[in-house]
Amino acid sequence: MKMNRKITWMLLFGMTALFTQCKDSGDEVKPDDENELITTVILKFTEQGTTNVSTFKSSDPDGEGGNPPVTDAISLKANTTYSVGIQLLDESKTPAADITEEVEEKSDEHLFIYTASPAALLTYTAEDKDANNYPIGLVGKAVTGTAATGKLKVQLRHQAGTKNGTATPGSDDVNVDFDLKIQ
Amino acid sequence: MVTVGYAQNSSCACFIKGEVRDQHSGLPVVGATVLIIGQNNGVFTDAQGKYQINNLCPGTYQLECRIVGYTSSLHKIDLTEGHEEDFSIEENEIHLHDVEITAHRTDAPASQPLTTISGSELFRTRGDNLAESLKGLTGVTSLQTGSSISKPVIHGMHSNRVLIMNNGVRQEGQQWGSEHAPEIDPFVATRLSVVKGAAGVRYGSDAIGGVILVEPEELPFNKSLSGEVNLVGFSNGRQGVSSATIQGGIKGFTGFGWRAQGTFKRGGNVRTPNYYLDNTGLSEKNFSLSVGYRLKGFGIDVFYSRFDTQLGIFSGSHIGSVTDLLNVIKNGEPLIKPGFTYDIARPNQNASHNLIKAETHYHFKDGNRIQWTIAQQLNDRNEFDLHRPRNDSIAALNRPELTFKLNTLTNDVVWDHKPIGGKISGQVGVSSLYQYNLMSGRPLIPNFNQFNIGMFWIERYAKNGWEMEAGIRYDYRTLATHRIVRKEKVSTDFTFSNFSGTLGATKNISQTLSARLNVGTAWRAPNVSELFSDGVHHGAAAYEKGDSTLTQEQAINTIASVKYTSNRLTVELGGYYNYIADYIYLKPQPEPMLTIRGAFPYFKYTQTNAVFRGIDLSVDWELIKNLTLTSKLSYLNVYDKSNDSYLVMIPPNRWDNQLKYQLPVLGQVKDAFISVGNLSVARQKRVPANSDFAPPPKAYSLWNLQAGGTLPVSEKNEFEISISVQNLFNTAYRDYLNRFRYYADDMGRQVSLRLKWKFGV
Repeated sequence: MKMNRKITWMLLFGMTALFTQCKDSGDEVKPDDENELITTVILKFTEQGTTNVSTFKSSDPDGEGGNPPVTDAISLKANTTYSVGIQLLDESKTPAADITEEVEEKSDEHLFIYTASPAALLTYTAEDKDANNYPIGLVGKAVTGTAATGKLKVQLRHQAGTKNGTATPGSDDVNVDFDLKIQ
Repeated sequence: MVTVGYAQNSSCACFIKGEVRDQHSGLPVVGATVLIIGQNNGVFTDAQGKYQINNLCPGTYQLECRIVGYTSSLHKIDLTEGHEEDFSIEENEIHLHDVEITAHRTDAPASQPLTTISGSELFRTRGDNLAESLKGLTGVTSLQTGSSISKPVIHGMHSNRVLIMNNGVRQEGQQWGSEHAPEIDPFVATRLSVVKGAAGVRYGSDAIGGVILVEPEELPFNKSLSGEVNLVGFSNGRQGVSSATIQGGIKGFTGFGWRAQGTFKRGGNVRTPNYYLDNTGLSEKNFSLSVGYRLKGFGIDVFYSRFDTQLGIFSGSHIGSVTDLLNVIKNGEPLIKPGFTYDIARPNQNASHNLIKAETHYHFKDGNRIQWTIAQQLNDRNEFDLHRPRNDSIAALNRPELTFKLNTLTNDVVWDHKPIGGKISGQVGVSSLYQYNLMSGRPLIPNFNQFNIGMFWIERYAKNGWEMEAGIRYDYRTLATHRIVRKEKVSTDFTFSNFSGTLGATKNISQTLSARLNVGTAWRAPNVSELFSDGVHHGAAAYEKGDSTLTQEQAINTIASVKYTSNRLTVELGGYYNYIADYIYLKPQPEPMLTIRGAFPYFKYTQTNAVFRGIDLSVDWELIKNLTLTSKLSYLNVYDKSNDSYLVMIPPNRWDNQLKYQLPVLGQVKDAFISVGNLSVARQKRVPANSDFAPPPKAYSLWNLQAGGTLPVSEKNEFEISISVQNLFNTAYRDYLNRFRYYADDMGRQVSLRLKWKFGV
């Protein structure tokens, strides 16, 4: 029995000795690195033949979760042609990262889709093309209909390797519904 | 060793006698029950481990050896041959054959159902991953993410609620993730066992649903060189698997044994009946080395294994918004349908797992035994999203979007006290676990340090066909988490502690009938993902939010079974009732989560009281000579008591039937068979209302064919071959527990060819 106890103590001692190599995971906390985050979408409508610019924004500066995004209501003149520009930002970083440039660089993987509902409110046509001659939608033209209210859905489709000019392939990077008022 | 013999004169005076030894130490086992199935004969081994059963008539018998603390073993004894021979010969000349009884130690609770796959049955699962290998057992299914990632599900529970003991060490990976398969190569094991029900006392917290034991064979101390080579080919995914084991003793050094083992696996895109699934290839490279030494009662084993896998994840499962998901569901099949390729592109996961373990034990002369196991595990997981960063210079680095490094150190000291009066045996033990997790990439789970210490005490008592078991355990756990919230480091500490208990009994009512009952408790602390997850899950199109105020789950599980065994019929019927207080699950929230990507359904980790109750039935019936029907039924009903509702992701009921014909001896081929089988899986009707994007898939029925046999070449050389066809009619189906059921069908027809060469010198 004496022998038993001796061996037991030896083992227990050996065990405790092995805990000296503890490491504190708190010393190595790395900042989150969400490299696909988009927090802000800015639409710029310029009335054709004028310099009247209206800007509308949807932004969620704290990213997904937390506070919900705040989205402006779009208000445009009836039966008017606008040129439309779009800007994407990641405002969770300081300074804010301009995602528009990155989308432009990878224009053969991205496609903006503007869908008005009801469809008669606004018709959008992209005015830029990527290397494969497919539309991008960073700049385009919008023609409004008669006075009415509805929604304008703006989507950025990420279509790495699958872009074919339609909205179907890929997945959404942006999917925002703006209230739309034509007056 | 068992000696089978005949005494003189009377035809019913044959006897069986022998000795029972511990496989590990070679020492005799005292107080083991040796009985003949179907006969009213049972004896105990004496102080030298010897026993004798007298007055047997000639015939074939099944000899069962049961010992407290060991797995039971069955041996077929043939007393028919030679019964017309001269009975007056000396005892040592009338040996018919020697059957080795080596008792295999197990820590599994004696009163809980334990099912084991080994030998030829295990051979016919070779090449499959761990969860797939266990799928044939009643009450066991798998949770899949496509066809290459599966996790075992026991009685409806998985992930952190199922504990895996890999070669005696608690497997520690990122188990909280339903798409994180256990990083274990089943080729390491010669036995895969499942303990069903809460087994918290012996194995510690988390074992609420059950425990999976992955066990290699004992090292071949002082034996000559031997080994085996396995080759497996699968038609679907054009997958090839090769694995080899070589082992032996060391000449000139008594007491040594060693083993080396390695596996390669490579597969390409998997095909459903109508189309290929994009990016579903896999590649796996594993190896293990072990060496051991024995001297009288002392023994030491050192084991190292490395598991390394690269898994493609079906690209159609990356969902940017709910609109994307609804579009795929509406389309009925994936939008991308490529051809066949072995290439693995994004999204994919690369995981490696290193385990080093040293186990040492000493058998004292008086019957006491002490064992110390120390192990370190390093789990390294890298996950690559579908899209690279938009910024070219960062994208060029091709870094994973998620990196986890989990380092775990475990220590277990177990003392088996010497049997008291040959009837009471027991053990006390201390287990500790220390681990830290480092992660980087997009926000998912925090860094953490975790420490756990547990103490347990189990006693078992065996007398007159009764075997009783009682145990208690106390665990204490601290968890320190660190994460970045709005650019500031936030640290949160948690402490959890709890008692677990077990009480069980096994009764051999007659030689053909036995019954067992166990009431066990287990608990589980909330894991880091349940506490802190906060973001969109791109595979599920859901916004998942953790809750740092969650408390621990507490399970009380009652499990009872009755087993009838006769020569032609074996029936095992089991029932269970597992009550889990504060069961943690993802509860759908009434308001969606709004993001720049659109509105996502919002789920929050919440606690409720749940009941898991079910029935497992298995029947083996030899209808006529050589024709056997095996039928397995798993029924499970899960209820959310607090909300008067059901829970999501519960396996539907299933019924598995197999008709097997054992072929008569064909030349040199033995154990040749052909079989036909059917698996019927019902539709899961018990789902909470409005909690899912698509209703649970329809019921399905799959047919399979199998054939196989063994060809002995010489005493130590043999070939074993099997060919099987799964999903024979190429049926298109979807399984409720496949997380990709929204996007695509399950795997189509699969033809597998398996070949094993076992050799020795």
